[in-house]
Amino acid sequence: MIMRQGQQLLLPVNPLFIWGSMVGALLLNMFFNMGLFGRAPGVPDLLAVVLVFWTVHQPLRVSIGAAFFFGLLMDVHQGALLGQHAMSYTVLSFFAITVHRRLLWFSVPSQAAQVFPLFLAAHAVALILRMLAGGAFPGFWMLMAPVFEAMLWPVASIVLLAPQRRAPNPDANRPL
Amino acid sequence: MPLGTLDRDPPPFFRQGPSALSKLAVFSALALFLMVADARFKMLQPVRVVLGAVLYPVQWLVMQPVLLISSTGDYLSSLNSAQNAKDEAQKRLGLQSARANQVEQLSLENERLRKLLDLPLRLKINALAAQVIYDAADPYTRKVVINKGLLNRIALGSPVLDESGVLGQVTRVYPTVSEVTLITDRDHAIPVLNTRTGARGVAFGDTSTHADAMELRYMAANADVTVGDLLTTSGVDGVYPPGLPVARIEKVDRRVDAMFARIYCVPLSLVAGAHHVLVLEPLTSQIAPRPAAEPDAPLVNNGRRQEIK
Repeated sequence: MIMRQGQQLLLPVNPLFIWGSMVGALLLNMFFNMGLFGRAPGVPDLLAVVLVFWTVHQPLRVSIGAAFFFGLLMDVHQGALLGQHAMSYTVLSFFAITVHRRLLWFSVPSQAAQVFPLFLAAHAVALILRMLAGGAFPGFWMLMAPVFEAMLWPVASIVLLAPQRRAPNPDANRPL
Repeated sequence: MPLGTLDRDPPPFFRQGPSALSKLAVFSALALFLMVADARFKMLQPVRVVLGAVLYPVQWLVMQPVLLISSTGDYLSSLNSAQNAKDEAQKRLGLQSARANQVEQLSLENERLRKLLDLPLRLKINALAAQVIYDAADPYTRKVVINKGLLNRIALGSPVLDESGVLGQVTRVYPTVSEVTLITDRDHAIPVLNTRTGARGVAFGDTSTHADAMELRYMAANADVTVGDLLTTSGVDGVYPPGLPVARIEKVDRRVDAMFARIYCVPLSLVAGAHHVLVLEPLTSQIAPRPAAEPDAPLVNNGRRQEIK
């Protein structure tokens, strides 16, 4: 495999951390809903960000199947049409798979700009499905959700890669 | 550096699994199937209940900090506002007790008169207090989640009230929580009665004008409706008991070219901020069964009957 220039050598990823982070994102989504924002349409979907992140970085572990399952959980939590998030996450994850070889060659801000259309597509899929099923249009604030999600991409790149960026041989001067 | 410390496996040659495109096809077909089964055939409530039961401990866990923050906020709210709230409550209690004292006598009188006239007695309604825990996150609908469910014998379709009027109707029941569709949801219809004129109608949720509003549909363009009229439940649906306040008319828009007037109403209940609610038992269980259809009367004038049909 060709290494890109200036790439940091990473430790192997812990599968528990991958699944833990996805469940954590689901929890944070629930917390946003229950505690902070209610049903505001512009709230970023953290689970979508984490899902795209792991699909791009670990396509052999996290893929379309996982996206579908977490989408079902989101549907049940939200009381939405069962299958709506499953569908939009499936599409999101498919696009993430198609860009995963190319995306990591760019700098992180540039990556954020390139994942923005993915989030936009996922929200568009959900919107189209719900409009067909006869829902009420939630308002133009929902256009901000993919923007916020793309803006969270650099944060996700720092937080979710932090465990892999630790030193391979920790000593007294370098405990982490 | 020991081996195996770097995340640099060569990609597997053969263990690739099905291609992404085929996975996309399979899973989106499955999602479409689920959506159709859910929206059209309403078959997936058991699946929801199972997944909801799996998800409930997680939701409970997330609720704890939320509840902690809100209870701390309540604790720290000033003495002044608490006293104001108490004064307000007492004022309302005073106003209500004057009417409530008459109710006993009036209901007795009503019962006797109904017996005299041989009318069916008014139905008794059982109620259960519940608390709204959070707004359902789905922005395409208007729903809230309350903290009583199957275990508290909440029935599907139960009307839900808050202190000032009808809030909505239970549309999904999980073991420990239930979902209430608010009266402002676009798909929610409630039969109402204009208390000034006695005219019955149907009010629908409407979010097109502003966030939480309703629309009284199918009223003729010259119908007697004015701004400020009170709409209460009419009781003809067999779900809502009659006489519960629902909404007040906010604006009447009569157009020359339209058959119906566009009538906007504001719900009386706190649809955006209800906290304590009352779940009533639906009347459907108490209503007498529909009488069997009578056999067709012999046709007097065959041709005329055909025309009416």
